[in-house]
This record gives sequence, structure tokens and C-alpha cells, in this order.
Amino acid sequence: MKHTLLTLCLLLGLLALAAKSGQITCSGSTTVLPIAQAAAEAFMDKYPEINISVRGGGSGVGIAALQNGTVQIANSSRPIKSKELSASKARGINPTAYAIANDGIAIVVHKNNPLKNLSVAQIRDIYTGKIKNWSEVGEPNLPIVVISRDVASGTFEVFNEKALGGAKVVATAQLLASNNAVVTTVGTTPGGIGYAGLGYVTDQVRVVPVENVVPSEATVKSGTYKLSRKLYMYTNGVAKGDINKFIAFIQSDAGQAIVKAQGFISLK
Amino acid sequence: MKTCVWLMIILAVLFSLLPVQNQGVETSLGGEFWSRWTLESGKSPVNDDTIIKKNYFALERGYFDLRTTFTENTKARFTVDIFSTDLIKDGAGLKLKYAFVDFANLVPVPDLTLSAGLQKVYFGTIYDWDYTLIGKAPSDEYKLANSADYGVSFNGYLPAGWGEYALGLYNGEGYKNFGDNLKKNIRMEYLANLRLTPIPGVTIGGSYMTSSVERENNLADDTPNPAYQQQQLLDGVARLAYGPVNVWVEYLYKDVTFPNAAANDYTATGFMVMPVFSLYPLIGTDIQLVGRYDRWDESDNPADKKLLNAVTGGINFNTLHNDSFVPALQVQLNVTQKTYDADNSAAAYANQKKDALQAMLQLKWRFSSKIK
Repeated sequence: MKHTLLTLCLLLGLLALAAKSGQITCSGSTTVLPIAQAAAEAFMDKYPEINISVRGGGSGVGIAALQNGTVQIANSSRPIKSKELSASKARGINPTAYAIANDGIAIVVHKNNPLKNLSVAQIRDIYTGKIKNWSEVGEPNLPIVVISRDVASGTFEVFNEKALGGAKVVATAQLLASNNAVVTTVGTTPGGIGYAGLGYVTDQVRVVPVENVVPSEATVKSGTYKLSRKLYMYTNGVAKGDINKFIAFIQSDAGQAIVKAQGFISLK
Repeated sequence: MKTCVWLMIILAVLFSLLPVQNQGVETSLGGEFWSRWTLESGKSPVNDDTIIKKNYFALERGYFDLRTTFTENTKARFTVDIFSTDLIKDGAGLKLKYAFVDFANLVPVPDLTLSAGLQKVYFGTIYDWDYTLIGKAPSDEYKLANSADYGVSFNGYLPAGWGEYALGLYNGEGYKNFGDNLKKNIRMEYLANLRLTPIPGVTIGGSYMTSSVERENNLADDTPNPAYQQQQLLDGVARLAYGPVNVWVEYLYKDVTFPNAAANDYTATGFMVMPVFSLYPLIGTDIQLVGRYDRWDESDNPADKKLLNAVTGGINFNTLHNDSFVPALQVQLNVTQKTYDADNSAAAYANQKKDALQAMLQLKWRFSSKIK
């Protein structure tokens, strides 16, 4: 009886593995999405026998999908939380982090805003509603329009931790669902301020130095830019087979060139 | 009563929307409804014939849920439980299930949350029981703990995914009782819970709770109250998860002493094993096969001697998943055989009088959406 059960389990396990061969699914962070999509396209050109499906949804969604066994890679713009890690491990999933890029969360304002610099304290005061007008930071008299990400976003969570220290975003803030939406809205709002991953910055907006440091490859890599972070892909245990091949590709020189081409900062 | 239910719902929605207008908090509205057909057969109370004892449709449970995020560190939940009942002439009942606020990072311990209000009781599997089978968690089924109660708890997560813990202080009478119903018991219930996951897929844990029933001395004349009980409650949990297989094992222990009527003292023990097998990795459709075996031994209780064995087999079909693979629709079919051991049960259970074969078919649907 024991042998029959063991054989059955092994057979089912092999069937499950066989079903997944040649197919990689990943979902999660909308910040990581353009990197994952571009890398997947280049990877599939190189390995046409492997098909990669990439979806967004947010970092939390990707990690939940990894927990539920419906994706093999969770893209995340923040480190996994203790609660998520605990729930994953209890389900037999062992989230293992692979850094794939560096990123700076850029503070952006309308392109006609002449603002030269913001301190972290000023950013916190703007986002918590203590500073309401650009004149309070030495700029022309214009009400500030605060634009933020929804609280499910990994970018929001990193921003909330590093810039706001966990403080509550002002009630009048516009909460938007993507980096693109933030940049577009700030670009069309003269008094607007927002934040987004460096890869999403366009000519519509101006990037404001934080503590007199401009987010750049050098300042993000060295950590002198206060709002820098790493972007991750999480797998169940150490990546193997095609998944390992895909992550190794992103971490390779060719993959890191894609990271740069998408406007993010390479690991090396 | 129906008017009252709808009024409550409308008020809840309105109150939830007000802060959206005024404070910009994020609020989500959710619900879950269980529509069930129950068919049960057993021995006739007047002869040995096997008869159909139950055959009906009902909305066994409905949750209406509001979750508010004031800040990243302060979140609240308000849940009402709506259900079919023939105890009320209109056929529907309403209970408060949860109404609590979570304060994260209030205490300078990472990942520790202080919860205050009508909240979960962190005992055994009752607090994260997800009804993979229709039946309740063992500690709920065998009356060791209530699924919700009024109180205060500290609950948190250990670093590096090592597990979770909780310390709680509750009324002890559960979410259905407050005020006048508690005057007979002035002692609080104390709880400690720990779950560890030393390696992925292997979880072990335990809970300890002290509880009491009634008042030690009668309020009117200060004479000893023979109904006063002190309870020590223990629960051990093990979970093994590997690929599509998930096995829960739970051990229950209840020690009841009657300080004013020692002859009534008793202990009871219970055991449950529940394997769950997901077919999703094999066939790409979210179907689960579930089994459960329960043994509840209260044969030491002079007031209600019984030894129950229950076996359940079930199948779940889950569909309309969201991005996190949480299904919006679930169809569950369960068949349960309950058998009381004649030698170790009181006369009320003899001759298979309370044995039952029960089939339940349930359609569960849930929704959740952000208001802002």
C-alpha cells in the first residue's frame, strides 16, 4: 500500500513537471513589467521552444500567485513581507529572491516647474499635506497637486517606507494605478508632483533631485540617492531549468542591456 | 427583521463611504454567500427505520465586509454575518462578526499588530480555517473556541518566514454574547498561539487558552455556583504541504473542572486529519479532492458522554479566479458519515439514534472591490 501511494505521488509529480515544461508564467509588479516583457521577447527569440507569459497586477498579486502555484515567477518592486513569506512557506512554497535591476523612485513635477531640489522631509510634508503650496518651498505661488500610487503598489510601499516613514498620504491625493498614469497626470498638471520608477520618466515631466542628489546610475548604485531600490523576481526555491535560464539571461550582460534600454539601472 | 438587515447594510455602506469623501482613506467592500442544499438521513426516533431527517435549501451564511485602510499602519474591518434561520419569523438573522482595528508598528516590534475590538480568536486552526470542506474547524465544531470574540490581541510574524504568533485577551463567550449575557462570568479568557514553519511545507504549532463558564459564587447570595467551570484548552496543529498535496492534522484537548461540583470534572480529546489534493497542476482546472476524519472523545463527561467518529469526503470546483488566484465561485460537494460509539456514549446516542449520513451541496460566491 505504501509503495502504491509513493509511486502514485511520484507519477503525479512527474506529470505536473511535464505539463509545465517549455512554459514560464510570471506576474506581479507593474514597475518590473516592461523589463520582464522586453527580456521575455529577447529570450524567446533566442530560445523559441520556451514560451514566457508576462502579466502585471502589482507586487502583492504576483507573490500571491506564486504562493498559489499559478505562476513560476513573481515580479516585485519591493522585498517580500514577513506575512507573505510565512504564508508561502506554510504552503510549501519557498520564495527565493533574484535581484534583476536597480531602480530609483524619481520625484517628478510638471516640466514648467522650476523646482531645484526637495529634501526627504519636504517630500513627506508635501505628501502628508503640511506643505500645500509651491511657494512654501521657494517656488511660485501655485497649489500643489499630490499624485500617488494606490497602496497595493510595491512602488508605493517603498516610497512610503523611504520617503514618508509610514505616514499617511494626504486625503486629497490622487491615487493612481500605474507608473505611467502618474507620469502622464503630472505632465498635464502644472502644480502636480508624483513619483515613479526611473524607467517611466518621460519628457513630459521634470525629475527633481532629492537631498541635492539626482537619481542616476551612479547615485542609485551607490545608494546616495535616498529613494533607490532593487527590483526582484521571486521563484519557488532555487530557480531551475528554463526558469533559471531566463533569470540568468536577465542578469547577464545582454539582459542588463535590456534593463538599461527600458530606462532602469543595471545591477553591475 | 428583514428591514433591519437591509437598514444595517445600507447604513454600513453609507458609513463606509463617508470617510472616502472626507478623509481619503481606502475602503474595500466585500462579501461572501453560501447557498446550500442539505440532505441528511438517520434513524427514526420512534423506530429503527432509516428516514430522511433534513432536506432543504438555505443561505447558510453571508458575510458583508468593509475593510478600511486609514494608513499603512492602521486598518479596520467590519463584518456582518447574514444567514437563514427559522428562529426569527422573517427567516433571516444578522450577527456582528468582526469589528476591529489593526494597529501595526504601534509597538516597536517588527511585523507586530495590535488588534482591538470584535476579532478573530487565534486558537488552533479556527482563525485561518478557509472552509476547504463545508464543515467548521475542529475547535469550533467541538466548542473549544469561538471563531470571533471581543478583546485585544497582539499578533505577528516571525522573521524570515519562520511562522506566526499571537497573545490574546478575550471575553471568552464569543461574538454572540456581550453585556447581560456576560454578567455570570467576570473572568477573561487568555490565549497564546505559536506556529512555526522550520522548513517550507512543514508547519507545527500549538495554542493554549484558559477559559471559564459562569460565576464562581452566585451574585445574589454569594453561595458557591455548581455550574462554574474552569477550562484549560490545548490545540496542536501540524500541516504538511508538498506540491498539490496539503495535509492538516489537529489535536484537541479540553480539561474542564467544576470547583464547586468536582464530580462533574471531565477531559475530552479530539483528533482531525484532513488531506487536500489539488488537481490544478495536472489538469489546469481548479478542482480539489478533500477528505477528513474526526474523532471526538468526550466519554469522560458525565453530563454528555459521547465518542464520535466522523468521516467526510468532498470535492470542490473553483472558478472565476482573480489575479491572485482567489476564486469568486466555488461549488462544494461533501458527504459525511457521523457515528457514535455505543459503548462509550450516553443513552441519548445509543442504537445509532444520532448517527447521520449527510450530503451537502454548496454554491459559494464572493466579491471584493475597492471603493477608493
